[in-house]
Amino acid sequence: MAGFLQQLVQGLGAGAVYASLALALVLIYQFTGIVNFAQGELAMFSTYIAWQLTAAGLPFWPALVLTLAVSFAGGMLIERVIIRPVEGAPELTLVIVTVGLFIFVNAAAGWIWTFLIKDFPNPFPAGALEAGGISIGLSTLGVLAVVGVVMGLLYLLFRHTKIGLGMRAVAANPESARLVGIRVGWTLALGWGLASTVGAVSGVLVAPLLFLEPNMMGGVLIYAFAAATLGGFDSPVGAVVGGLIVGVAETLAGAYVGFIGSDLKVGVPLVIILGVLLLRPQGLFGRAVVERA
Amino acid sequence: MTHLVVKDLTAGYGDARVLHGVGLTVGEGEICAILGPNGAGKTTLLRALSGMIRARGTVTLGGADLTGHPPDTLARQGVAHVPEGRGTFMPLTVEENLRLGAYVRRRGPELEADLDRIHGYFPVLKTRLKQAAGSLSGGEQQMLAIGRALMSRPRLLLLDEPSLGLAPLVTRELFRIVQAINAEERTTVVVVEQNAHLALGIAQQAHVLETGRIVLSGTAEEIRADEQVAQSYLGYRV
Ligand SMILES: Nc1ncnc2c1ncn2[C@@H]1O[C@H](COP(=O)(O)OP(=O)(O)OP(=O)(O)O)[C@@H](O)[C@H]1O
Ligand SMILES: [Mg+2]
Repeated sequence: MAGFLQQLVQGLGAGAVYASLALALVLIYQFTGIVNFAQGELAMFSTYIAWQLTAAGLPFWPALVLTLAVSFAGGMLIERVIIRPVEGAPELTLVIVTVGLFIFVNAAAGWIWTFLIKDFPNPFPAGALEAGGISIGLSTLGVLAVVGVVMGLLYLLFRHTKIGLGMRAVAANPESARLVGIRVGWTLALGWGLASTVGAVSGVLVAPLLFLEPNMMGGVLIYAFAAATLGGFDSPVGAVVGGLIVGVAETLAGAYVGFIGSDLKVGVPLVIILGVLLLRPQGLFGRAVVERA
Repeated sequence: MTHLVVKDLTAGYGDARVLHGVGLTVGEGEICAILGPNGAGKTTLLRALSGMIRARGTVTLGGADLTGHPPDTLARQGVAHVPEGRGTFMPLTVEENLRLGAYVRRRGPELEADLDRIHGYFPVLKTRLKQAAGSLSGGEQQMLAIGRALMSRPRLLLLDEPSLGLAPLVTRELFRIVQAINAEERTTVVVVEQNAHLALGIAQQAHVLETGRIVLSGTAEEIRADEQVAQSYLGYRV
């Protein structure tokens, strides 16, 4: 039993990271209907910025704040410069653009920082918390706490501020949003900025567990896709719940399903994606799309 | 006193021109009805007035030039458009829909008072405030759409087929409320409507639009009395 709980907590820790990247995916999808394949790479790039700042001598937390600010501005800029011109283009065009962005950001990071792996500082202390026969790593707790704070802030933004209400209005009905006086173009840019910021958090959290290198987020992106698909691509709450479920499922499958082990673990998100698409395409929390205006 | 002045307005979609030089004036606090057959360009006219589509010509409201501005700017200038199909923010609550109507205004006691005022016009909305707007009936959504528009304290209210899909009784009630709003708030209203009888009942003046041109203008009584118009455009005999 203790062993099971142990795995469960570990799974939640991993899931929190997937949840934050999934949340970034969902934020952009909600506003623009774009599945941003470059989300992981943007997070990776942000992580390099954080690494660069700490390497230059800045303490971790100030470096993080600065990184988030830069990511926010960068996300807005990308929307204005790259996405804006293809707004409303056919789905395939948008996919190609974000895949292009993926390749570009990946190559740029390799060019600036090389493909050699780098050690990323772990912001959390090394110890573990022992309780009831299970031990929870402080860094796992830290990850859960940071993701929890991010969710809380987003909740406050969307539910209790005028800007947040405007953003939800744009996601629900851009044409009407324009008619009530919302500057939709800026709202979309704001959505990209927010998504990049939330994505950056996932990159910074995952980097100490892996190594920092330009392809670091490839695997995480697949888990995040599984999380967003499971939760529903149009539901931020779904993304979080989906992320946690995917993390737990992956960890438990690796530990208890004999033939999976740690090698086949990456198959778990794919199975989840397939299963959801077959059984409940809109995801657990998503709205079934009857028509798209 | 004229309030809304539209001169030589042309507009369309892509290369297809729909409006060919439409001109009209509406006095402050008046209701103006736009009638005409399907595809005449009535919706297009309202879209051009609220900036949803690009238009050429001139539009002024209370002397201020509105021509060529995007809808979010025009909303700040006091133009509120209830679009064909109501434009409900479906997943948001009724209250959020109403508050979005006031997006261009500051929060404050006046805004809360306006919410109460709208509950006065549409009591049913008050009982549904926390409900998702998409779960309202068609008639309730139309009331919500008008309520949302009023929340901006508009100087010009554009209504596109408020009767669409509503039972006759509900439609009559809705028009009664539009008339009351117009009387109490002195809001200038341009209403596009298939139900000519109802529209002429509340309007001071009317224009008949056909294939993008105004083919007949007059007071509501004149238009109603015009037998030929009644037969060819309005679909009923006097
Ligand atoms: N989004 C659009 N793209 C291209 N053409 C359009 C578009 N909307 C309308 N049209 C065309 O413009 C013309 C006028 O349409 P409009 O919707 O203004 O008519 P209407 O008078 O409102 O008709 P109805 O009474 O049926 O609502 C029609 O010929 C229509 O095909
Ligand atoms: Mg129409």
